Amino acid sequence: MAKYLVRRVLYMIPILFGVTLVTFLLFNVAGGDPAAQAAGRYATPEQIQTMREQMGLNKPLTYQYFDLVKSIFTLDFGRSWSSKQEIKTMILHGIGPSLTVTAPGFVLSLLLTIPLALMLANRRGSIWDKTAMVICLGLTSISSVVYVLAGQYVLSYQIGLFPISGWDSSWEGRWHYALLPTLIMVVLSLGSYILFFRTIFLDEIYQDYVRTARAKGLPDRTVLLRHVLRNALVPIITLVVLQIPFLIVGSLLTESFFSIPGLGGLIFQAIQEADFPVIKAMTVMSAVLYMVFQLLSDLLYALVDPKIRLGA
Amino acid sequence: MTRWIAPTLVLFAALISCSRRSGNIENALEYPLRINLSSLDPAQSANEATSEVIPNMFEGLLQYHYLKRPLVVEPLLADGMPEVSKDGLVHRFKIKKGVRFHDSPAFTNGKGREVTSQDFVYSWKRLADPATKSDGWWIFDGKIKGLNDWRTKRAKGETEYDAPVEGLETPDDRTLVIRLTKPFYQLHYVLTMPYAAVVPKEAVDKWGAEFMNHPVGTGPYAFESWVRGNKVILTRNPGWHGETYPAEGGPEDREAGLLADAGKPLPFVDKLTFHEMPEDQPRWLNLLKGSVDFAGIPKDSFDAAVQNRTELKPELMAKGLRLMVYPWPDVVYMGFNMEDPVLGRNLELRKALCYAYDQKTANQKFYNDRVITAHSPIGPDMEGFDPDFKLPCKEYDLEKAKDALKKAGYPGGKGLSPIEYSTAASTTGRQFGEYLVQQMDKIGVKINVVTHSWPQFQDRLRNKKSQLFGMAWGADYPDAENMLQLLYGRNVSPGPNNANFKNKEFDGLFEQAQKLPPGPARAELYRKMREIFARELPWIPTVHRLGYMLVHGWVKNLKPHEIVDGHYKYLRVDLEKKKALKEKL
Repeated sequence: MAKYLVRRVLYMIPILFGVTLVTFLLFNVAGGDPAAQAAGRYATPEQIQTMREQMGLNKPLTYQYFDLVKSIFTLDFGRSWSSKQEIKTMILHGIGPSLTVTAPGFVLSLLLTIPLALMLANRRGSIWDKTAMVICLGLTSISSVVYVLAGQYVLSYQIGLFPISGWDSSWEGRWHYALLPTLIMVVLSLGSYILFFRTIFLDEIYQDYVRTARAKGLPDRTVLLRHVLRNALVPIITLVVLQIPFLIVGSLLTESFFSIPGLGGLIFQAIQEADFPVIKAMTVMSAVLYMVFQLLSDLLYALVDPKIRLGA
Repeated sequence: MTRWIAPTLVLFAALISCSRRSGNIENALEYPLRINLSSLDPAQSANEATSEVIPNMFEGLLQYHYLKRPLVVEPLLADGMPEVSKDGLVHRFKIKKGVRFHDSPAFTNGKGREVTSQDFVYSWKRLADPATKSDGWWIFDGKIKGLNDWRTKRAKGETEYDAPVEGLETPDDRTLVIRLTKPFYQLHYVLTMPYAAVVPKEAVDKWGAEFMNHPVGTGPYAFESWVRGNKVILTRNPGWHGETYPAEGGPEDREAGLLADAGKPLPFVDKLTFHEMPEDQPRWLNLLKGSVDFAGIPKDSFDAAVQNRTELKPELMAKGLRLMVYPWPDVVYMGFNMEDPVLGRNLELRKALCYAYDQKTANQKFYNDRVITAHSPIGPDMEGFDPDFKLPCKEYDLEKAKDALKKAGYPGGKGLSPIEYSTAASTTGRQFGEYLVQQMDKIGVKINVVTHSWPQFQDRLRNKKSQLFGMAWGADYPDAENMLQLLYGRNVSPGPNNANFKNKEFDGLFEQAQKLPPGPARAELYRKMREIFARELPWIPTVHRLGYMLVHGWVKNLKPHEIVDGHYKYLRVDLEKKKALKEKL
């Protein structure tokens, strides 16, 4: 296990190198001149040059690349060109609001969809199953913007269940604003999650061991929970763990529509303002998070499935 | 496991019921910003969000009279209007007594100190300092004696803030003398802009580049909090130097009830909240729900709100909303690159494109008719704007377009390579491009629409690479000079004259006009420049936009104008009316 862990961590180094290199080349070589953008529309070449020096863009590219790599290890991404704040602080401030919406939404989705999918798989071909499939396909076919627009219009404006948009920085106050985006996140994931989990459960439900368990006279509930669900845990863990980085990074669309000061909005604004240090930090951070959680999901496989031997 | 479903739903329903809050009626105003706020530093106040928020906290020497139209400049932190020398080169200001900065930890004991004339010199040097990266340096660039030299030396690290600048003299704490390099009759206009506001050195030193997140000014409202991407809150400044509501205005102001509060002390409202709402729907729904007090109308909601172009729909009137329509001093145009070998040297070709562009249909399609067709660069509500002036080629006439094309040497478009139209890569930009393609196709001219990211688009203009491009300019001050400089020969790219129009006669008139104070002689020069524009056609001016504002009935004293900033101090909330009207929403 330890050997496997070390090997996987070592594998991450070239991947990280690739990610940082592509990010660096995209923004520093192919992405136009950030100094010209920062200097404004009518800047003279001299003014642009002065700006380049102030932004450290006159340093050799290798030096600038080394700065980027160093920032991953020191977690010091410097300051935003736009807000002048420390990027580390901006990210830390943004994680809370993003997770306030995405984490409960994700947990609620799982709590609703896993049992529903299990029930549907168990009643495959029934009227319930067929109806649910049509609804789920319908739900996945609709653009996510429609859910946001409809949710705000019907639930907030017409019925008045939630505030239309906004945020409260206090932990007690933010639930007031987080409920509708959370609900929309749940609805957004219902269709695709049910379809996904149902397929996984169906793969298991027709296996010989399930037939044997039923033949032994085990109650349906025990068969589903102890055998089917347990054996389907590997793909479920993959989905759950690999989803976590996206939960942290937040939802650009939801945060923009609900004025939530999370990381999704941070990325959106950084792109709009060509705030390269923030874009670079977020790109690299997302890649690192993805790699870390991928490793974590591999480790969890071994815990839930004794057949999997890591490093074998 | 299914037993989780019911409790989960019950828990969610319980949270919903807890989330329903009863709203208290506060003496406060809430406004939705259409774009995200980027800075609270007056040196970086270029966009509509910053200019909505910053002037409530920061003040300069002068301001526009709130009600008078055309716009009139009046003192703000200046003690009366300045003494101006006969040649217009020396402006002597007295600073009002008792003006104090907001309380801030940057000051000893946290108490804001009194503003002196040296603070203005510091603030303007800071604007000139390349390290500030201000987008507002242009207001003083080349205009104040010695300031450009100071800036150059500062860039090289060869000077400090305490080094004297010839054009900025402070004989005493309350006197500021500005010496200009040449007459600049727009000086008083630019001194009303947030860029020219006074900032305390102590706070800039304390916060450094983060001053933009910790603003300290002198205005009627002081900074309370800002959650980026969400909202900024300002609260009444108890130590404000004070001002009263204007007692003068036009007859229409009295009729509109805008003089009812004449002479009363400002500000009326205790708290301002600016919500960052970049999406149209939440902005619109929050307005209808009364969560914000006034806002513009998003394009897609226009038909739901307005009928016959200027009338509010009865269902919205029943909710106590009122519609305000006001002209924007701006111009939207398609610029020809006059250095382009095809377009730049062929007036008849430019005329052909102008005649073939169906402006009326474009106004309906893209602006819901919320515009005035533009015939010159000079926007409405500005000195030099003539509503009766008509640019001949703005009359949509395909026959005349075809004739002009023939005269240009391209009958039926034959022999003419596709013209490249550059625009920013937005949905609207692409739609404009597609419309142009359709229009020009009618006379046989092929248009190739090329979309770019905004920085790439700027790069192309800066490097004179575009043939034909779409652009807009909002006036910084109510003087046609601000629009006509877009055609001045010395301002060619990378300057704001992106059409790279060079005409000796035009440039001569422009330079002559710069030396003249406002008046008939200068207006005549502006008229002549407009004639040259019409003759040479470096652009196809398309529209001047109109502002549409929906305002709740409880908001009093609102008189919007695109150039007048810092109007929140004049606004009043009728709390009784708000309570009554909000129940209907």
